[in-house]
Amino acid sequence: MIKVQHQDFNVAALYENLCDNNQTGAVAMFVGRVRDFSEHKNSNLDTCFELEHYPGMTEHNLQQIVDEAHKRWDLHQVHVIHRVGELKIQDQIVFVGVSSSHRAEAFLACDFVMDYLKSRAAFWKKETQSGNSQWVSAKETDEKSLERWSK
Amino acid sequence: MPNIEVVFFASLRESLGTDKVTIELEAETSIEEIKQKVASLLDNPDPLFDEGIQASIDFNFARPASKVDPLTVKEVAFFPPVTGG
Repeated sequence: MIKVQHQDFNVAALYENLCDNNQTGAVAMFVGRVRDFSEHKNSNLDTCFELEHYPGMTEHNLQQIVDEAHKRWDLHQVHVIHRVGELKIQDQIVFVGVSSSHRAEAFLACDFVMDYLKSRAAFWKKETQSGNSQWVSAKETDEKSLERWSK
Repeated sequence: MPNIEVVFFASLRESLGTDKVTIELEAETSIEEIKQKVASLLDNPDPLFDEGIQASIDFNFARPASKVDPLTVKEVAFFPPVTGG
């Protein structure tokens, strides 16, 4: 299941969905959240994020990443949910959940999907603080992180 | 001649001041050549040539040398490096 949506998600319900058969011996989940990125700790009330995506391409990118994870490991289910639109500090942004028979595959696939999502899925973040907006720059470390998955 | 939509996202869309242009292509054209063609249609094309600007062809990430076939391709996009997650 791949979803790009405005609304929040319920991790407990998503966990239940990943446990839908008696062969599932492991579930690994990752949740990305908006943290306070401001330097002044008391200024976070007027801080927010806008997440833009490219409808059609984003879903296509995520599907390719999930398909690649299924090719590399023996997995039951891979679910990805990414929010778009306006988000505040402490909001959930992204969910990746993987179910498999054994833990090693679940851990690896969850890590793999997040790594590729960071650098190969069409999302862009804009931060607004005290009325000043700025697009977030991509981190070189995110691109570098993909090297560890090269076969 | 077939038309191709060229769309822009995020900071690039804002600095170009438009979210898309339509171009006509006669034959197979590389992303790099499409960028030049698009630039000729814009008032302020400089941000298109900023370092790191990426491209896609029908939702797949593309390279500067990737070819766009006007008979099969519908949409090309230019955008800054992605920052999701």
